[in-house]
Amino acid sequence: MSKKVDVVIVGAGAVAMVYAARLAEAGKQVLVLESGPERKPEDLYSSQLWARRLKWSTPHVNEFGGKDRIHFNMNAGRGYGGAAAHHYGVWPRFDEADFSIKSTHGRALDWPISYQDVRPYYDRVQEFVGISGDASQEPWRPPGEAYPLPPIPTFRHAQLLEKGFRKKGIPVSPIPITVLSKPYNGRPACIWDGWCDAGCPIGAIANPLMTYYPRALRAGAIFQPDSHVTRVLTDKSRSRATGVEYVDKSGNRQQQEANMVVLGAFTIENTRILLNSAEGGLSNRSGLLGKYLMVHPAVSVYGLYGEETQCHVGATGGHLYSATTDKTGNPEGVFGGRHWEIGLVLKPNDLLGVTMSRPDLYGEKLHDFMKIGSKRMAVMAAICEDQPLEENRIVLDEQNDLFGMPQAKVIYRASPDGMALAEQARLEGIEIVKASGAEQAWSGPVVAQHIMGGTIMGTSAENSVCDGYGISHEISNLVIAGQSTFPTGSHANTTFTIHALAERTSDFLLKTGMA
Amino acid sequence: MDPDRRKFLKQSGIGIAVATIAGPHLLLTPAEAKAKNIPLKVLTDSELKTLEAIAEILLPGSAQAGVAYFIDDQLAKDPNDSLLIARYFQVPPPYAGFYKGSVQALDGYATATHGKAFHQLEVSKQEQIVGSLFPEQPDGWQGPPAPLVYLCLRNDVVDVVYGTMDGFAKLDIPYLAHIEPPTKW
Repeated sequence: MSKKVDVVIVGAGAVAMVYAARLAEAGKQVLVLESGPERKPEDLYSSQLWARRLKWSTPHVNEFGGKDRIHFNMNAGRGYGGAAAHHYGVWPRFDEADFSIKSTHGRALDWPISYQDVRPYYDRVQEFVGISGDASQEPWRPPGEAYPLPPIPTFRHAQLLEKGFRKKGIPVSPIPITVLSKPYNGRPACIWDGWCDAGCPIGAIANPLMTYYPRALRAGAIFQPDSHVTRVLTDKSRSRATGVEYVDKSGNRQQQEANMVVLGAFTIENTRILLNSAEGGLSNRSGLLGKYLMVHPAVSVYGLYGEETQCHVGATGGHLYSATTDKTGNPEGVFGGRHWEIGLVLKPNDLLGVTMSRPDLYGEKLHDFMKIGSKRMAVMAAICEDQPLEENRIVLDEQNDLFGMPQAKVIYRASPDGMALAEQARLEGIEIVKASGAEQAWSGPVVAQHIMGGTIMGTSAENSVCDGYGISHEISNLVIAGQSTFPTGSHANTTFTIHALAERTSDFLLKTGMA
Repeated sequence: MDPDRRKFLKQSGIGIAVATIAGPHLLLTPAEAKAKNIPLKVLTDSELKTLEAIAEILLPGSAQAGVAYFIDDQLAKDPNDSLLIARYFQVPPPYAGFYKGSVQALDGYATATHGKAFHQLEVSKQEQIVGSLFPEQPDGWQGPPAPLVYLCLRNDVVDVVYGTMDGFAKLDIPYLAHIEPPTKW
């Protein structure tokens, strides 16, 4: 067994980097165990093909247990930086209403904390990381400090789409995005190349490799790649974590002792590790471990124009934003919020590129379409709120992974409200794109983004897995980190919120001496 | 390798490693691999023929661009290092099973409906089959889901033809790389 450390962190993604930095800066001995490889900025080649290495592949996640898919491999990350190494940096805050849906509307769940508990941490994170935008143009934004950077520029494809929104009387704001409109905190401004999905090697987006990771390293945190954690180890009473078991690069099982364990392995692995750690799973008195899995149902709407649109340049995640946050204000009583990301970049190939906008085309027709689409298209994406359904869950599969541990199996169907929101958005989007002057307007299928739930937070061990800090109700030195703790999913992208929660819990752990 | 050739391959975008007698690997683009008819690593000659035949229907010119050699090279890699889009579609690794199964399904369907393996059919019949694969699965198809086969292979051909620096140039759009992709895919 390796030398005992103060804190062992599982995973080296966004939240892990926050904990590693904060706890190491406070003088703690921190060891981060990451299943995938070390990644350096020079590894981030500008290529949609090479970008695929940054995403998940093994251990395989069986997501065919239910009616719908969660598109895990595309959404997750592997290696230092995790999913945030290839994310697009769109960082809206969760709405105030997201935290108290059950008590307000008598449905879904409540968080054990409020927006006001998280607000100062949103402010702190954005000050460090840098967000470009204009809060004064966002009537839907909850209270908080103004963004530290001005909005990013818009390119022709976003400008055209904006015309459509204005004609329909729908308010639009600059997108709140961690892509830097100006140099900030030692990191350069973006050069608008549209390669965010491949990871930004210059740090012009909130890639953890360029934000919290350098802080963690400077503070003495140790990172160990190719170390796949299989279980959290506990004492006999299962009320105290003693460390973790992992498989090292040579395939040997090792144990790492620690005074505290932080699970930051993303939604599926957080749950799988806990399920594999004990019969019935750890921290599962409620029986809810693995349950309330959610995504954001998302739909893209495309336009083809009679002019060149510069659609291959800009910030990949979009340039403009428009949100509908009144959960009860949708037609036909559909419940939930949603937002538009307007003017995403379109590269020729890959899942979100020109080619997949018209999957029906092949042969010479595909050649023809690639030539015009690559220069004359625009796209916007609606991100919709899913509802937490207890039946949506992560369980252990019958098949084992390479390390001999049961794989994860996902049983999921999109909530009716989530799908209805996506359909309403799709129809609205077609009208907006037509109004923007497009010669053709069409939509893609509904896909899943931002996987959440499985280890939800709540007020007690009877109704949840962890408390409002992510601390297990049953294991006082086990912190569960990231969006697996979300009891409701909002419409808002999750990365800003997981950073804020990690900062908040870090403060708590240090203040109370728990770390 | 001389610097000019290294630069050429870098600019060409894709490279396939071939062991030489002298030991060091020779890097080739998929098109060069096709032209040289290099030894396959995972696929059989017959599987290659079927893949090339469907590739030509999906995107003419992609067989000559070496898509089947690209796929073969990628299938030999650790799934975590694979550049194949199949990983985005939750295809369970190792991906060779999916590709071999896809070829088998395609040839089986071609034989059942037209009496010959896919690559032996005339182009009009090949086009007819490809047109039936998406969005619904044709009756009698047996193997990986036909729409998934179609989408993966369609993305593969576009990757090889248009997903590189050369491919962007063909589309007359700037590549704007921070870091140019290496030749060895």
